[in-house]
Amino acid sequence: MLLERWQQIPAGTRDLLPAETGRVRAVTHGIVRQMMRWGYREVTTPTLEYLDVLVRGEGPEAGDRVFKLVDRRGEVLALRPEMTTPVARLVATRLREEPLPVRLAYAGQVFRGWETGSGRPREFPQVGCELIGSQTLEADAEIVALAVESLAAAGLEQFSVSLGHVGFLRGILAGLGLPEADEAHVRALLYQKDFVGLGALLERHHASPKSVDALLALPALRGPAATAEARRLAVTPEGQSVVRDLAELQEMLDAYGVGGAVTVDLSIIRDFDYYTGIVFEGHTAALGVPLLGGGRYDRLLERFGAPYPATGFAVRVERVLAAGGAGGDSGAPDVVVTFVAGSRDVALACARDLRAQNLVVTVEVLGRSWDDVARDAWARGAGRAVLVRHGTAVVREADGREREVALADLRTLRPVGGGAP
Amino acid sequence: MTPVTVAVPSGRLLDGAMKALEAAGYLSIDAWRSTRRLLLPGVDGNVRCLVAKPADLLIYVEHGAADLGVAGKDMLLEQSCDVYELVDLAFGACRGVLAFPANAADSWEKKSPLRIATKYPRITERYFRSRGRPVEIIGLNGTVELAPQVGLADGIVDLVMTGRTLRENHLVEVAELFQSTARLVVNRVSLRSRADAVAGVVERMRAAVARSAVPPSA
Repeated sequence: MLLERWQQIPAGTRDLLPAETGRVRAVTHGIVRQMMRWGYREVTTPTLEYLDVLVRGEGPEAGDRVFKLVDRRGEVLALRPEMTTPVARLVATRLREEPLPVRLAYAGQVFRGWETGSGRPREFPQVGCELIGSQTLEADAEIVALAVESLAAAGLEQFSVSLGHVGFLRGILAGLGLPEADEAHVRALLYQKDFVGLGALLERHHASPKSVDALLALPALRGPAATAEARRLAVTPEGQSVVRDLAELQEMLDAYGVGGAVTVDLSIIRDFDYYTGIVFEGHTAALGVPLLGGGRYDRLLERFGAPYPATGFAVRVERVLAAGGAGGDSGAPDVVVTFVAGSRDVALACARDLRAQNLVVTVEVLGRSWDDVARDAWARGAGRAVLVRHGTAVVREADGREREVALADLRTLRPVGGGAP
Repeated sequence: MTPVTVAVPSGRLLDGAMKALEAAGYLSIDAWRSTRRLLLPGVDGNVRCLVAKPADLLIYVEHGAADLGVAGKDMLLEQSCDVYELVDLAFGACRGVLAFPANAADSWEKKSPLRIATKYPRITERYFRSRGRPVEIIGLNGTVELAPQVGLADGIVDLVMTGRTLRENHLVEVAELFQSTARLVVNRVSLRSRADAVAGVVERMRAAVARSAVPPSA
């Protein structure tokens, strides 16, 4: 059957049904709660930003990957493609006078205006946090540790975080003294993860075959091997300090108790242009795309007039769910309430009491018979069906047995599964 | 443990990809020829291959349906997929060129509007946009060289290996847009979560390329 346009949604977007919405919310809340335990306060920014703001934060390429709108005054607006730039704008304006460091968390939908058919969503939920105003390794360690704890809070067990540094590859390449024109080319090759192109470029500039081999070997190096190799390759003072930072960071992460989940990986390359220091990605073998990504971005806020260093990360909620992140309850009612004529007031008061105990309660609104209400309640997976009849309540179990209880006892009724949060 | 999956493209790079995998010790071409299956086990059970349309191959790797893949640089340039490009496999060499009918090869720059037929709409668009030249692109899936002869387009952007197809269709190359060979690409998560197995394939493929490299003087 062909669907009419009015029955469809745009490619790359999704309707979430109740169970899915519950899972997304449970994962999101689990992560936000974890962030709040670390002192991160949640903020909300608009879904729409001026395109100029996004371009200022993310560079001119931002214009190619966002959905744009023109408002009635001719202003070009865009749907936010990520949250770090809007949060940077917020901190540099409304929160300018806050004492540093500022710890902020966010959760919301973001949008990418890429072509459809590639299997990439054009709207998806992100939850993340930013630690603003500190340039220390302690801040980096906190953010990486919180990234690990966030995935754990989302119910994932098998995952790891790969930790790299943008200064390392850039350092190797900068050490070659390339002409300015080639620097942009190098950056483009890096973002495309085109190691063949990088190797060819090194050869054209008569780099030693050894350094070409070293560059090409990088993507295969993990953990201690990567650190040892990095120490050998980092000839510039900047490169040496990157290696020292990564080693010290690893020690701090051990102290945070998350060292086992973090691996040094010098080939990590993030998609956004604003990263200046450590970069990291979280992943699990079950999924071919990263679960989270982040890093240090010390030059982003100065583009908005506030020269604060910063570090942070964002989690892809739908990917965490795809990787088996635990999520929430089914949303089925704990108690379904109906009543006989004349007992409405008592029934509604009962429903209010039960809800006050955190139970999920629905009240019959179709005027059906008690048998029909009870049958429908089981079909929906409800815990109990209750008929309020004058001074008492009839409770019907899933197997059809009934018992009569006093209204006062109903107020302390527990659902069969004991599934209240 | 599922075996490491390598995607190989059907089409012009298929034979080269199969030979490279056989040279690296992962595949028996004879065994594959006898079945022509699209998903085939490797020699040792740790590596398997899937055969994908060249235009789809990078999608398999980007989404992790395949851990590695053999893809033409032309497709990497056209599709901008999020994969690591690690080894130049050195076979399947060709060039992407802009070509016009012989009688228009000198005058095409004055043509407006300029219509170009191609299998590479994004590469073509980038090429003309970076030169500030307006262009109308007609996306085709094959036999692009036919388009100028029947008035569908003024010129074409297409792959050239020997130049024979251009000559037979009275087309003249006026610019080279890119050079292409087959590349080994890797999914960004497989590179990390299955690091040892994937690095093993990358190294054996790299070594196989080095062994088969022909000295420039030969």
